This record gives sequence, structure tokens and C-alpha cells, in this order.
Amino acid sequence: MIRQISLFLVYELRFLFRNPVWPLFGIMQPVLYLVFFAPLLGKTTSSGSMPEVLAMFTPGSMMMIALFGSLFAGFGMINETRNGVLERLAVSPAWPPAIILGRVAKDMLVLVLQAILVMGVAILMGLRIGVPGFLIMLLLMAVTGLFAASLSYGLALAIKDENGVSQLVQFFAMPLTLIAGLFLPVSLGPDWLQTLAKFNPLYYGVEAGRSLFRGDLGDSTIPIAFALLIGLAMLTLVWSMRSLRRLAA
Amino acid sequence: MIIEAHGLRKTFHAKRGRGKTEEVEAVRGIDLEVREGEIFAALGPNGAGKTTTVRMLATFIAPTAGTARVAGFDVVKEAAKVRESIGYVSQAGGVDENNPGIDQLMLAGRIAGLSKKAAQARADELLAAFSLTEIARRPARTLSGGQKRRFAIALGLVTAPPLVFLDEPTTGLDPQNRANLWDEVRALRDRGTSVLLTTHYLDEADALCDRLVIIDNGTVVAEGTPASLKKEVAGDVVTLKLKGVDEAAEALRAQSYVKEVRTEDGLLRAYLDDGEHGLPHLLRVLEERSLSLESISLDRATLDDVFLRHTGRSLRDAA
Repeated sequence: MIRQISLFLVYELRFLFRNPVWPLFGIMQPVLYLVFFAPLLGKTTSSGSMPEVLAMFTPGSMMMIALFGSLFAGFGMINETRNGVLERLAVSPAWPPAIILGRVAKDMLVLVLQAILVMGVAILMGLRIGVPGFLIMLLLMAVTGLFAASLSYGLALAIKDENGVSQLVQFFAMPLTLIAGLFLPVSLGPDWLQTLAKFNPLYYGVEAGRSLFRGDLGDSTIPIAFALLIGLAMLTLVWSMRSLRRLAA
Repeated sequence: MIIEAHGLRKTFHAKRGRGKTEEVEAVRGIDLEVREGEIFAALGPNGAGKTTTVRMLATFIAPTAGTARVAGFDVVKEAAKVRESIGYVSQAGGVDENNPGIDQLMLAGRIAGLSKKAAQARADELLAAFSLTEIARRPARTLSGGQKRRFAIALGLVTAPPLVFLDEPTTGLDPQNRANLWDEVRALRDRGTSVLLTTHYLDEADALCDRLVIIDNGTVVAEGTPASLKKEVAGDVVTLKLKGVDEAAEALRAQSYVKEVRTEDGLLRAYLDDGEHGLPHLLRVLEERSLSLESISLDRATLDDVFLRHTGRSLRDAA
């Protein structure tokens, strides 16, 4: 099983290394936000210092790559539902879950690499973060990628239409962004917004990130975020695998 | 028998608007027997149920009813075993446009359990056999239709399966590539591989296959070798265009050397076992009745005549 997943992963990575430019475009958006938007946020934190602003803002900008990058991972697969690639793999001796898991593993890896670059930029700008916080944050990004990518493959396999998937992803991405407090903590807002945010898994991801960046590794949002994201990732993975099996219908 | 199918059926539930579903009976009870080492064709118009049948046999979809054993294994209960014994080349081809053919051949070999070295050796072998070595490292999107189709078939053969399914392998290919592909399919048989192919080309089924079934509307309407099927109809067919088709048909039906007469849109087809000798008699009969001809032709009977006989329409019109 591991062998099969890694075979698909390596195949996907070879494609990536032939075209290494595209994931770099993916981090442009968060980096631009860090450079041009974060300085505007001085008043929103207690001390108003740049390291504090970055500790608040960077986790949100990292979740952004997951939302606007990994959620579109399934796009390539829509074409594969038509050009016979998935049909061929489905009747090959391949272990079916590996077809999706290999791709998801690639997307997780890409997201983690992007996260390292974004955190690197934030550190250059003055962010201070401990090694454990840094590593746990990468783990959190990996889990976020697992969820976002499997959701994307699930959507791709269920809808099988580029227009439909892109509209749907856009439709969900915007409210999820706002209600998660991606740019500004929800705690600044009214109660109803804070209540609403509690139903958004991304909110816990961002809040967990902020705790990690503050060095508050014992914060309860961290285990909640991991449990939620892993749970949702499992659900969406199962869903996308079932969709793959029902491809022909 | 490398394929034995009994009473295969497939009903799809297509969504039509709000909450309504429509049942589409794509395959309505097909029996098939394919022997080891033969090229077997499923001939029929588009939408006849050929692809659905092949997809069931290749374990891509489960039959609604009926049973099938492929390479000795049940397609539902032992799907994984079936998959180890078959190569499947879909109509769409299944070539990944973004990646080079060699990567895809390697991946296909390795997921089937070959070591890196063995997969490389097998890929090299297939690239050479299909004259693809020089373009192996180019992204597939830069290849021509014929080259892509050869890659698609090579991908289906990576595991050297005893049975290969080719779904409409030559659709969209130019005559040159088609002829080459026929040679490659024959070469497969010569190496002992059984082939089940679907086609809507009469000449393809006629030239390429050892035995065939004609499929129409989800059922098998005829089965046999191309020669035996055509012999059932007659050796030759005389096609006449004339006024008074019905009168002519009646006159010709009374002749002992005419096996069968069919009429459609001002055309009359008379089936004769020996066209060369029958034609003069036939012309005399028409002359006696003062039926004047607009045109006449004498041809060998084709599989289209077989199709016409069993379905009442020509395969050319059926699609």
C-alpha cells in the first residue's frame, strides 16, 4: 500500500519538478498580503509591534494558500475523468485508494513547502517563532492540505465539470475566509460572528496557528484543530474514493 | 474460453431534471464466448452497448444482472484477479497529456508489481515494438493522434496480459495509421494474446477478426466468423435502382437462384449465391416485365448485409 502510494506520489512529483514555477505563484498572494497588508494592522494588536502583528497575521495568510491552492488541486483530475486515465487506473492492478492518496500526498508536500517559504518571508520581516511551534505549524499545514486536497478531489470526481467546481470552490472559499478570521481575529467582532466562526473548521486552524506563533503550545485550539481537520480529511477521503469507484455511472 | 458471459445486463439510471430518473437499458442480456488466442470483435452502431459490455468485462462497472468469467475469474467476485489478467484500452485512450509516455509506462509496470529494472525493460520492449522510443520522453500532449493511440495500447500491454480489450481502437485514425494498427493487433494474436475489440467499422471487423458478434440495441443479433455470417446471407448482392421496386421484388422472389430480396427507398437488393451467373437471368426477368433500370451493381456481400438482414436497417444508417 505504502509502495503504491509512493509510486503515484513520485509520478506526480516528477511532473511538478518539470514545471516547478506554478506552486511559486501560489505563494505570491500570501506574501503580498504579508508585505502590504500586515503593516496596516498595527492597531489591532495590543502592543502594535511588527512581530506581534506577524504572529497574528501569518497563520491566516498560510491558510490562504490552502484555501486558494489546495482546494483547486482536483482541477487536473476533472480532465482525467474524461481522457480515460482514471478509467485505465481503475481496472489496473493498482490499489484504488493509492490513486487519490498519492496525489493528496503530493498536495500536502507542496503546501508544506509553500508554508516554509511564507514563514521564511515572515521571519525575515521580523516574526519570532520557536522551533517546536514552527514544526507543529508545518504539521498543521500538512493536515489542512490533506483536508483541502481530498475535498477538492471529492468535488472533482462528484461534479466532473470545471465550471461547476470552480464556482463552488469560490462560493465556499470567500465566506470560509471571512468567518475564520483569516485576516483579523474573530475575537475583535461581535458575538454572533464569534459563534458562527465556531462552526468553521478553518477558524480552529487559524486560531491554532496563532497560538503556535505566540508560543502558547498548550492552547486548546491546537488539539481541536488537529482533531477536526484530520476527522474531516478522513471523511472527504472516503467520499472521494467512493466517487472514484462510481466514476462510470 | 478466456471470456464467458451469460445474460449480461446493464441498466443506468440517468437523471432527467428534478428528481426524475430515466432507466436506460444499455445492455439487455448479452452472451459471449471468446476463445483463447483469437481476435474477437463486437460490431455495432454507436450506442449499441459495445462499450458498456467491455466495461463490464473489464470490471470497470458491475453488471445489473448476468455473470461473466474473464480469464477464469468472476468479474464481480474476483475483480482484482481479473485486473491482473487483462489489458484495457478505453475509447478515450487513457494517456496522461501532461507527462511523457515513458513515465506512464513505468508507473503502469510498477503498480502491477514489477521492479524498477523489470518495468524499465518492459517499457523499452513496448516502445520498440510500437516505434515510440524516440518520442518516449515528450509530454503526451505534443504527440499526434496515431502516436497517442499507440501509447494507449502499449499502456494496456505493460503487464503482458493474456487478454486485451480494445474499445474502438481505430476511431479517428487516418487510413495509414489504421492499417498499421491492424498489423499490431494481428501481431498480438501471433504472440498468443487474445483480443476483444469493439468497432463500428464493417471493414475492420471483416479484415481483422477471427469471430465476431453483431450487437444492436444491447443484444447480440448474430454471431460467427465473418465468412460464415456473410455466407448465411449469400455470396453476392445485386443492388438495383429502378422504378417499380415492389413489382420487381415480387418477380425476383419467385426466382430459384435468388435467396432473398430486400427493398429500401427506391433501392432493391437481391442476394444471390453466384452473382456472376445469376445476373443475366435476373436482367432477363426484369426485361420481360418492361422494368427499366436506372443503375445496377454487383458486389460481394458484406457484414453490412448481415446487419441489414438481422436488424432491418443498414449499419451506415443505424448510427
